[in-house]
Amino acid sequence: MKISRWYTLSLGIVYFFLLGPFLIIFAASFGAESTLSFPPRGFSLDWFANVFANEQFIRSFWTSLQLGLIATILSLIFGVPVAYALTHFDFPGAGFVETLFSLPILVPGLVIGLSMLNFFVLFGKFDVLTGLMIGHTAILFPYSVRVVSVALRNLDPAVEEAAVNLGANRLRTFLLIVLPNIRAGIAAAFILGFITSFNNVPVSVFLSGPGVNTLPIAMLSYMEYYFDPTIAALSTILIIFSIVLVQAAERLLGLSQFV
Amino acid sequence: MRRTITILVLPALLFIFIFFVLPLLFLLAQSFQDPETGQLTLAGYAEFFQKETSQIIYVRTLRLGLTITLINIVLAYPASYVLARLPAKRRTLAMSLVILPLMTNPVARTYAWLIILGRTGLINNVLLSTGLIESPERLIYTEGAIILGLTQLLLPLMILSLVSAMENIPKDVEEAARSLGANGITTFLRVIVPLSADGLVLGATLVFTGSITAYVTPVILGGNRMLMLSTLLRQRAMMAFDEQGATVVAVVMIVTALAVNLLVRMLRPKPTAQR
Repeated sequence: MKISRWYTLSLGIVYFFLLGPFLIIFAASFGAESTLSFPPRGFSLDWFANVFANEQFIRSFWTSLQLGLIATILSLIFGVPVAYALTHFDFPGAGFVETLFSLPILVPGLVIGLSMLNFFVLFGKFDVLTGLMIGHTAILFPYSVRVVSVALRNLDPAVEEAAVNLGANRLRTFLLIVLPNIRAGIAAAFILGFITSFNNVPVSVFLSGPGVNTLPIAMLSYMEYYFDPTIAALSTILIIFSIVLVQAAERLLGLSQFV
Repeated sequence: MRRTITILVLPALLFIFIFFVLPLLFLLAQSFQDPETGQLTLAGYAEFFQKETSQIIYVRTLRLGLTITLINIVLAYPASYVLARLPAKRRTLAMSLVILPLMTNPVARTYAWLIILGRTGLINNVLLSTGLIESPERLIYTEGAIILGLTQLLLPLMILSLVSAMENIPKDVEEAARSLGANGITTFLRVIVPLSADGLVLGATLVFTGSITAYVTPVILGGNRMLMLSTLLRQRAMMAFDEQGATVVAVVMIVTALAVNLLVRMLRPKPTAQR
């Protein structure tokens, strides 16, 4: 066999492995039997109806949505100025700051979650949602700082210089010139941050509390008690949601260069 | 200018210090503290490293991490080469499919393996109907199940690292090798692999640390029967309410992950100035 064939074959195997399981979930979510089995027998949309009838899923979905939006926005409000400082000034400790803000990616999520839980129990009596918000904001810092830094570095400095030469001060230049020019980077950071928060389990599993669950945590606890295709139906919905989001983001922003 | 920098950096710095660094330092202190008397002790670590169950789990975690990394390298290398050589437009689509598992809800992604490996799942049903087995085999809660799930999760990271390294290899280099008489395999092994070594090292580090710290996959596919470090941590913290035990596992996990990162950084030859 020619080597070019081998290459193509290996790409096929990789895609089969990465995407095959998703197709299996799609098929299983339409099965008629109440225990999950594959290949599925019969056809039914009951499991989809079940998803929307389950109050836990609906409530935790809204929690996750809210949490994702707020944590992402907070991480950008804190993170964009840091990215600006890192790309525009040469200051002592810049390397340290850069490392510090990349740490939440290097430290395992489970360790972050446990440490925050222990800390909150002793020092901060936050309600569950506030605790989750703080935790999620912290883990999103690396994305907002790094992705926005990349966007700022790609911006031609002459654009900013022109604005300054024409008499605009730094803040005005940033708001009117820089920000509109890096909006693709901000959007990429936003999408990446939101997905990261929306899908997070290790931090949420420790910071969730009575009555306040994120969607993935609600799914995990449902799975402990039921083995019907409801989770398959919900997974189908979530996977399609990811496909649409990733396709749009990749086409508009080139998301994979930031991951 | 100093004031500007302070205004820009200080709020985020305070946030990350109070809510991220302090809790971690606190966790580190907790792992050395006797839960009853509050005195400094190494008992938690002594217990972790002396007890057979935690030894087995630690070794298993490292072994699975290594296995998954090797499988990822073998699967990803040739595929990444094809992806790196695609024309830009098709590569965009191809890469967006590659990163899909990274962007998908982790429970949804892992659930597929339950459907494939479960008692009434795809593999058992196929084997039963062909008569190869007589009763369903237990395929979940095994090391193999964890390996499958984590390979699907982490393969995209390996491919992304390799593709971005291979994009920088000029096509001329390969053509030069070919015209000097090297065949396809020789070119791949002696030209492509050395020139993309940086991506390989980065990808392998990401996959290894990802494997030893992953949570959802070991919870669903390993459960309490096939514990890894992460599921052991969960068990100690949430089921046994052994808080100090949990912090010890956390510190062991973080130190292992950081040690691998440092080791790789030290062993890796300095990147050359010209590209």
